[in-house]
Amino acid sequence: MDAALRFVDVVKRYGRRGTLALDGLTFEVPANGITGFVGHNGAGKTTAFSLVSGFLHADAGTIDILGEGPFEPHRLKGRLGVLPQDAELPDRHTPRELLRHLARLQGLDRATAASETDRVLDVVQLGPRRDARIATLSHGMRRRVAVASALVGRPALVLLDEPMSGLDPVQAHGLREALAALRGEQTLVVSSHDLSELERLSDHVVMLKDGRCVRQGPVAEVTGQGAEVRWALGPGEVPLEALAAQLPEHRFHLEGDVLVQHAPDGALDTSSVAVMGALAAAGVPVRGVRRGRGLEQRFIDDVLGR
Amino acid sequence: MIDVLLVARFELHRAVRTWRALALLVLYAVASAGVAWIFVQMVGVMENNLATQLGVAQTETPGAMLAELQSSSMWRDVLGVMTGSPHLVDALVDVPPLALMNLWFGFLVVPFFAASASTESIAIDVQTRAIRFEAQRTGRVELVVGRFLGQLVLTAVAALVSVAVVFVVGATQMVVPDRLALLGWLLWFVPRTLAFGVPFVGLGLAASQVTSSPAWARVLAVGAVAGSWTAFGLARYGEQRRGFALLSDVALQVLPQGWLHGLWEPGVGWLLPAIVCCALGLAAVAAGYLRFQARDL
Repeated sequence: MDAALRFVDVVKRYGRRGTLALDGLTFEVPANGITGFVGHNGAGKTTAFSLVSGFLHADAGTIDILGEGPFEPHRLKGRLGVLPQDAELPDRHTPRELLRHLARLQGLDRATAASETDRVLDVVQLGPRRDARIATLSHGMRRRVAVASALVGRPALVLLDEPMSGLDPVQAHGLREALAALRGEQTLVVSSHDLSELERLSDHVVMLKDGRCVRQGPVAEVTGQGAEVRWALGPGEVPLEALAAQLPEHRFHLEGDVLVQHAPDGALDTSSVAVMGALAAAGVPVRGVRRGRGLEQRFIDDVLGR
Repeated sequence: MIDVLLVARFELHRAVRTWRALALLVLYAVASAGVAWIFVQMVGVMENNLATQLGVAQTETPGAMLAELQSSSMWRDVLGVMTGSPHLVDALVDVPPLALMNLWFGFLVVPFFAASASTESIAIDVQTRAIRFEAQRTGRVELVVGRFLGQLVLTAVAALVSVAVVFVVGATQMVVPDRLALLGWLLWFVPRTLAFGVPFVGLGLAASQVTSSPAWARVLAVGAVAGSWTAFGLARYGEQRRGFALLSDVALQVLPQGWLHGLWEPGVGWLLPAIVCCALGLAAVAAGYLRFQARDL
């Protein structure tokens, strides 16, 4: 796995005796995929992004960005795009003026900066408002300008801190589709509290708790999509013994109204007919089926220790 | 270098669109116009006094007796007070009085204008974190130097606006025998005004780098400007006191006001003080940068 971003034992403390924001954070982000960055408030997501972008200085540890070492603006010029979480845009300018300026600072020539600006404004569906003063734009529109700033110039590594924050469902859907389309071309790291959204979007996930990485890996692996099925059942006597007899390599247990099936790798698809048959024979209605725990459940399990 | 120019252009663009910078520009222009008008009235009074002394008819429009006024001892006294140096009087006595007045006023006001305009440049962007959009794309030194350059251009624009306003006041309110010469002298003095503004732009930017509170930055910058004038006054006073001469001499070397006298020099004599003023400005910016380069944004 080529890592686009690597943290090793990174420590960051705010103030001389202040809060320990990152406590030996270690993780890797694979190249050319979309990585979800998950953590509770204060887990260190924004701090980690800020360290990558050079806004903050680490107290210890190493950060490797695109194989070039830690942040150095001239070495990484045009190769890193960052959406800061709570940075206000310079609101005296229009989106077009601001993005052209930022594109030029990334080393693009005048013509390329102009065309790139128009492209990313179309990506975030702000084309018609490109010449309006940023001060006159709504919160959601400003957010989209900020997202566009991270995408301008097609940087190899893009960090998006809460990109959907403040967007309405239609805008969020549009942006999610646009980001998904970048898969394979750029490395995206997306932080969000909307874990179902992240689960749909990401290939890989990094979970943070109290400044440390508690879990990382492909989304399918982290959520157990290849090894676990959760059957939501209606009233009735669940035939656990029959299931165990029919599928001896599988393990079954109940969590309330949910029958949890653990299976050896690759055996889930072939077993579903047998499970459905056993449940139907016992007269137990199936209300829903889900592969894996879902990112949200996994996060709650890991972070809250349930 | 390209990044510095890009940042400077963006800074200037923003400053022009910010009401505060515009308000400062307008205030400076209005103050220049007002002072020029008062000066013209003062010239009129001096000319009438001169006419009375010479036993000729008083003039209705100021400037009608400009040649006589410039060769009078009254005008030489005024020049001595303006430049603070009697030996410069001979060299400047033939320069259009309005141009000299504008240079004097520029020296008085530009420090406050320059420091006030530049003091928010970085602090407000650190406070709102808007600086993060640029800081991920270029170095902090380019950010600071670019903003310094942008503020210098803004100060130059203010000086040019002042020239335009004073020229209009002169052309409409007094007799100006050679308007082209007046405009030429007004423009010739702009680089000196700008040079004297450089250390104060530097002070403003230094204050802007050490705190993320624009209000504190403003207090620091304006306090530093006021402090520098106070220190200059004390140094001039100390020059004549036993035991303070060395200290005063050192203070006058490191204070921009200590080089003010040199900026009045005719010919190319003002260039060295101008270079020193620029160096003092850069030193102030560099001092602020020591803090800025290490801080979290």
